[in-house]
Amino acid sequence: MSLHRIRLLMWKEFLQLRRDPLLIRLLFLMPILQLILFGYVVAADVKNLPTAVVDLDRTSTSRALDASFGASDYFVVTQRPAETELQRLMDTGQISIAIVIPEGTQAALDRGETAPIGVIVDGSDSQVASVGSGYASQIIARFNADRMAAQGVSVAAPGIDARVRVMFNPTLASVNTMIPGLVAAIVMISIMAVMGQAVVKERERGTLEQMFVTPIKPVEYLIGKVTPYAIAAVVQLLVVALVGIFWFGVPFAGQISVVVVGLVLFMLTSIGLGLLISLVSHTRQQAQQLMMLLLLPSFVLSGFIFPIDSMPAAIQPLSWFIPLTWAIQILRGAFIKGSGFEALSTQFWVLALFAVVIFGAAIVATRRRLTE
Amino acid sequence: MSGTRRQRPDGLASTPPNPDAALSVRGLTKRFGSFTAVDGIDFDVPRGQIFGFLGPNGSGKTTTIRMLTGTSGADAGQALVLGEDVLRHPERIKMRFGYMSQKFSLFEDLTVDENLRFYAGVYDLTADEFARQREYVLDMADLRGRENELTANLSVGWRQRLALGTATIHEPELLFLDEPTGGVDPVARRQFWDLLYDLASRGVTLFVTTHYMDEASNCNQLAFIYRGRLIAGGAPHDIRRELITEQVVEVSVGDVNRALQWLERAPGVEEAYLSGARVHAVLQADAAGADPAGTVTAALRAAGFGDAAVVVVEPTLEDVFVNLVAREQGR
Repeated sequence: MSLHRIRLLMWKEFLQLRRDPLLIRLLFLMPILQLILFGYVVAADVKNLPTAVVDLDRTSTSRALDASFGASDYFVVTQRPAETELQRLMDTGQISIAIVIPEGTQAALDRGETAPIGVIVDGSDSQVASVGSGYASQIIARFNADRMAAQGVSVAAPGIDARVRVMFNPTLASVNTMIPGLVAAIVMISIMAVMGQAVVKERERGTLEQMFVTPIKPVEYLIGKVTPYAIAAVVQLLVVALVGIFWFGVPFAGQISVVVVGLVLFMLTSIGLGLLISLVSHTRQQAQQLMMLLLLPSFVLSGFIFPIDSMPAAIQPLSWFIPLTWAIQILRGAFIKGSGFEALSTQFWVLALFAVVIFGAAIVATRRRLTE
Repeated sequence: MSGTRRQRPDGLASTPPNPDAALSVRGLTKRFGSFTAVDGIDFDVPRGQIFGFLGPNGSGKTTTIRMLTGTSGADAGQALVLGEDVLRHPERIKMRFGYMSQKFSLFEDLTVDENLRFYAGVYDLTADEFARQREYVLDMADLRGRENELTANLSVGWRQRLALGTATIHEPELLFLDEPTGGVDPVARRQFWDLLYDLASRGVTLFVTTHYMDEASNCNQLAFIYRGRLIAGGAPHDIRRELITEQVVEVSVGDVNRALQWLERAPGVEEAYLSGARVHAVLQADAAGADPAGTVTAALRAAGFGDAAVVVVEPTLEDVFVNLVAREQGR
């Protein structure tokens, strides 16, 4: 193995990358676009939900509860209709969520009983439904805690029933889960899609053929090919992570080593996938279509955009076979929960298995192809 | 004399490979599944010769080159390249040969200079060697002043010469050229062959595949490969003389297609085929008689081709080739 030839191949690759408008666009515009999309558009989706409050109790407690909804950023109380009006308002989309405080709520609380509160959510948008109801539960819980503190009773005492408890991401800010996911997604796109394209381009033009009649060895070629894209991916994900932490205020509670090991394993997997795609594609278009075929289910099924738990039970096992799923779990765990290697050991083992199998298969197949 | 003879009992197959030759191949075989792409070929190429490896597309030319350049293994046989066993130790000769393919294999998104620099680096040229070779290639390819142009912007003839320059930047002893003139106009092809002669005169052995028969005449030695087997070999004029003992006549006629149909079925005609705008007919040895052109003219006139003009021609390599392929198919 000659370092001199590897350096030469990397130099050539950087020159080519610089002159390929398609690849440059993919490498630089995509993370920026995704940061904006996922950072602002997706993160802002559950603010200012039009809300109706139906107060059948008409007591100081019910009015205080009403006010605490109005005081939060997430809900704007736009209507105070009669209960029978709710269906129409929901149907016409004038409200997304309704809070129904039944008659006798304050009386029940005064007797020391549990008082149920109705939260009606427009389920046509699952994001609004799950996040909106989560926020509502939280507001009720906080209201409950405040009320008890004021009365000096113990927390164990009965109160308003709010069973949902949101951990780690109490505001459920989408951006906090999006940015770690985006870091993993960028590795996949930059390395798998972009490097795969570059290999196919080389074969399409016949320069690959030329390379292996020269003293260049397959392993030198592979290292020279992969390194520039790995470097590009590291730059991209650093930008995304730093913008995420400093601009969007995503908390980083974990250890750097967890993130690094997770990313390295996922990079190896992505390199393997990229090489495998380039082996079976004869043209760049074919490669592009294959990439889409892999990227789309990865994004949809990995929990990157939609929570795995909200998928149908029959679909959920599919996500286990997607490397991105495990990479995202490791990154989110490290970012948000501060989880270490022990807590994420399952994810690390599965990702390591993917890396060994996919990267190994790709290297073996590429070598065989090149020497066939 | 080297080269190959079809099914010669005292042929190369029974002799060991010759380490002094630039290329020496015995029983070389490559299979892809049940398909035998190259089927036990034998040939020797002495150093300093231009060896033409001819055959239709898909006949096994590129597969043979891939084995000889060490990029593909063989299923059977031996191959000595510059005296080294390329099948066992492909890395030993990689610095000593050059290779140029039909696609010209330049990086189109690199400049002329960057392409040269890349291949010079691959072959470990020193700074002095590179400077000298760079000058040589720029002159040879007529690219002085265009060093910083992207290769993609060069027209085919220039690109072809630059590809030759990068393939020979390390001054190899042996150069493989796989259909090097594909898609190039006749003038550029002529210029290109002048460069090849120049290389040969400096002692470089050239192994050239082509399906242009006129180019085959430029070679010292030829081998014809068809369906993976060598069906003929030797110097171009020997091949023409030895392999076509029959007379070949060229027919100029107004209605070429009908004349071709008639000739194909005419008695005494072994074979008829289009050659450009004319028809070539191979006459059976006993049917030709003393005046073959006169006989054929009379027969054509009698069949209603009043304007037919017939001359006896020296068989071209194309005639030889069509004839050889027809014989192979008939077997």
